[in-house]
Amino acid sequence: MPVAVKTSWYYILLALAAGDSHGLGIAREVQDLSDGRIRLWPAALYGALQELNALGWIEQRHQLGESEKRRYYRLTRAGRTALTAETSRLAGVIRIARARTKPRAGETS
Amino acid sequence: MTARHGRRLYRGLLRLGPRSLRQRYADDMEELFLARLAEARCRGRLAAAAAWGAAAADIVGARLRYALRTRDVPHLEQERRAFMLGSDLRYTMRWLGRQRFSTALVTGMLSLGIAASIVVFSLVNALFLRPFPFDDPERLVYINETAPKWNLEIVGITYPDFDHWRRENKVFEAVAMWNEDNFNLSDASGAERIAGGSVTHDFPDVLRVRPIVGRMFNAEEDTPNGPRVVVLSEGLWRERFGGREDALGQTLRLNSTPHAIVGVIPNVAMFPGEMRLWVPFRGNPARAGSYGSQGAIGRLKPGLTAADAEKDLLRTQQAIWDARDRDRVVSPFVRTLRGQYARDFRTQSATLLIAVGILLVVACANVASVMLARALARRREMGIRLAVGASRGRIARQLFLENVLIAAAGGAIGLMAGRWALQLLLTTAGDQVPRWANFGLDIRVVGFAVLMSVLTTILFGWAPALHAIRGNVRGAMQETSGGSTGGPGGRRTLAALVTAEFALATILLVCGGLLYRAYDRVRHVDPGFRVENVLTFSVALPGDFGDNDESRAKLYAFWTRLVQRFEALPGVDGVGLVNCAPLGCHWGSFYRVEGAPPRKPGEPTPVTLYRPASPGYFKTMGIRLKSGRLFTDDDGRPGGGRVVIVNETFARTFWPGVADPVGRRLRGMGDTAPWMTVVGFVQDIKHYGLEQPMRPGLYLPLQQSPPSTLVVAVRTAMDPAAFAGTARAALRALNPDLPLIGLRTMEQTLQRSLAQRTLYSWLLAVFAAMALMLALGGTYGVTAYLVSQRTREIGIRVALGARRADITRTVLRTSLSIVGAGVIAGLAAAVAVARLLAEMLFGVPPHDGWILAYAAGGLIAMAAAVNWPTARRAARLDPVTALRAGEG
Repeated sequence: MPVAVKTSWYYILLALAAGDSHGLGIAREVQDLSDGRIRLWPAALYGALQELNALGWIEQRHQLGESEKRRYYRLTRAGRTALTAETSRLAGVIRIARARTKPRAGETS
Repeated sequence: MTARHGRRLYRGLLRLGPRSLRQRYADDMEELFLARLAEARCRGRLAAAAAWGAAAADIVGARLRYALRTRDVPHLEQERRAFMLGSDLRYTMRWLGRQRFSTALVTGMLSLGIAASIVVFSLVNALFLRPFPFDDPERLVYINETAPKWNLEIVGITYPDFDHWRRENKVFEAVAMWNEDNFNLSDASGAERIAGGSVTHDFPDVLRVRPIVGRMFNAEEDTPNGPRVVVLSEGLWRERFGGREDALGQTLRLNSTPHAIVGVIPNVAMFPGEMRLWVPFRGNPARAGSYGSQGAIGRLKPGLTAADAEKDLLRTQQAIWDARDRDRVVSPFVRTLRGQYARDFRTQSATLLIAVGILLVVACANVASVMLARALARRREMGIRLAVGASRGRIARQLFLENVLIAAAGGAIGLMAGRWALQLLLTTAGDQVPRWANFGLDIRVVGFAVLMSVLTTILFGWAPALHAIRGNVRGAMQETSGGSTGGPGGRRTLAALVTAEFALATILLVCGGLLYRAYDRVRHVDPGFRVENVLTFSVALPGDFGDNDESRAKLYAFWTRLVQRFEALPGVDGVGLVNCAPLGCHWGSFYRVEGAPPRKPGEPTPVTLYRPASPGYFKTMGIRLKSGRLFTDDDGRPGGGRVVIVNETFARTFWPGVADPVGRRLRGMGDTAPWMTVVGFVQDIKHYGLEQPMRPGLYLPLQQSPPSTLVVAVRTAMDPAAFAGTARAALRALNPDLPLIGLRTMEQTLQRSLAQRTLYSWLLAVFAAMALMLALGGTYGVTAYLVSQRTREIGIRVALGARRADITRTVLRTSLSIVGAGVIAGLAAAVAVARLLAEMLFGVPPHDGWILAYAAGGLIAMAAAVNWPTARRAARLDPVTALRAGEG
């Protein structure tokens, strides 16, 4: 059975699709991507990262340089597949939604 | 708060979250949170607080998610867990049953706190939080006029003013005016007095209510010569017509005039007060009309506020000022509907909220201290369970279950007790509570109770219990078996809790004492009139009486007949008539005295209490004459000289420095008003309530201007309440169409005028007593625990030759020093808090020495008494047993 992708997961995957990032960076990126509608608070973010890690969709590595202890996250192949699958599923939903909410003939908007 | 504090606090908060997350990501999480917090701080304090709230919710949410996720384990595992839950439950029940006393104590304290909070929260909820039962209630505003120059906050509205606003305003979707009125409704079966209102036809448009049957009267019917029609409230319709639709078209005799019934409106529209029927206002924009008890209500256009509306009305008022009120005496004001009707309760509500908040904190501290002591005493048991392989999680879960059971019991009992107490309170308060307020149990009250009990037990029960079992197994085992005392950390926490409880109890006790003293002081104010054996009721003659000699004579003849009839009844010592009896209504008028300098512009003219009274009124009501004479039957005869009796405040205000005003003259404001001579000078009475100052007042002979509605005061030889039946029969014999209105003894009237003060003085006294009991329970429990922990130490001391008295003293000293610290802190805080109460204290100083001394002395003495048995028991310990204690 495919795992259901939560909205916050989707945004996190989307944020990582642009490149590796650390927790704070992901939180900011998600906020930007969602026009400020999704603000991930620490426990929600790291909870999600932990779960995504367990699913093998992202992997975690330490990057030296900027800050020694910072943990960076990278999208794995499996993660990218999941993101693509979810995107096409959403696209399908949107197609249906558009068709259903189209103004009917005779109705003025 | 500095960043360091923020970091610490967040770390603390993280402890509430799932451990795996914390261990792995604590630093990263903290970094993200601090970034968020810094962002929020830039947007102000509120945003920062919101950030903390969000962070806490985030962590608790994660905890819940993790808890739920652990359920998604394979089938077998799940089964095993369910089994364990069952055994945990059984174990917990058994354990709670064994610890019957402390379980009952915690549950009792919790339910007490919750019950008190529910009562107060329900009051506040009904008065402030629950909206009026109308569409978009926040857009409804109350409109009236104020006249600071007349010393009147609210004067009522004249129809021409209202009509002008209705035409000129730019802010209201609809605006309507009403006047509360009472009607004599008579039919074949007798006469009844019914509360109703004259309203303009747009009233339902403002409230957005629709008639359930028939229609509302229309604009044509709402004109000076329109047809007589009436709209009934649903309640009256069901009562009188059994809810039948054929009521429409029937007529109702109101004030002896038939009115055609055109519609029925739902009960919610019985606003304000208790208007049970509506008749058209029939206002005439061309006639000046008089001020009175009118009010107006408006529905704002979307997006506007009461302040906008007031500005707009003041703009339209300019034309009225120019035309007929050049001194700008009267000006309109606008308030939100809730602001208007809940205004009177704001101080009391705030006081009660604070008091109950303190009580709740005391209850929580108590729950915490008992649970902590219990947990500390169980460290050994927990240690053993851990040692033989129980997981920490399992023990935590079992402790949690214990607290959930206590919370459920405490919450349920508290909810029931609170409901019951609220009912009791509302019955006692009687008509002090506004009719529109609905005190029923709503989702908010229940939610509040559930939240309270859950938070209290988890925060104050589970957390300390977890705290107690933390640390390693060996430590826990050793501490109780080897060492002489329990952990110093736990003991210190317990002492701090008891100190806090006593500090808070002191605050409540001092404030309760002050309010009670103020209440006592108010009760002993001399009202200036007789309270015992006086019965009052109103009689209203229906019909229009013009301002002419003929109708004056007719009215006077009726009132004279009434007095004669009642005087002839057996057991009657005196009968008097007046328009406004003490603690009743106010009828204001304006007077000038002879030779007074003209008032400076802008200087307010004092309002004078105007009272036509019969000659017998003064004796009946026991009003004391200072000089001159009282009225006789000859005073006020047409053609005779006009006379008047003034009170002390009138003399002081208009003739300062004059000892005896008898013989001086005064007259009304018009230039043609006739002069009246003062023939009598009487003492002030507390007309407006025992706490209120008196206004200038005067009495006129009834014959000079007899009103159509009067209060009849009857002084009886026996119990006045037993006289009610006789009075009713006598009035019916005089005129069967007349109902007897508001029959009450003066004693009852006085009690009612004090009801509000009585109510919250008693509430606060009850809260103080509850806090006291809780605090005493707290110190008892903690002392008992400390003694049980020190059993070995005491044994050693006794073995080394300490006397029993020394042991008793040591135990008492320890517990009393904890209590004393709390009391001292509490006294200081109480004086500060009492200052906020100043306006309710009726002159009792917030630092009243006696009250402070009583509170401090009483608390310490009672704490000593409560701890005495424990101390004695400690002293009687057999050293041999004591030394063995804790080993086995």
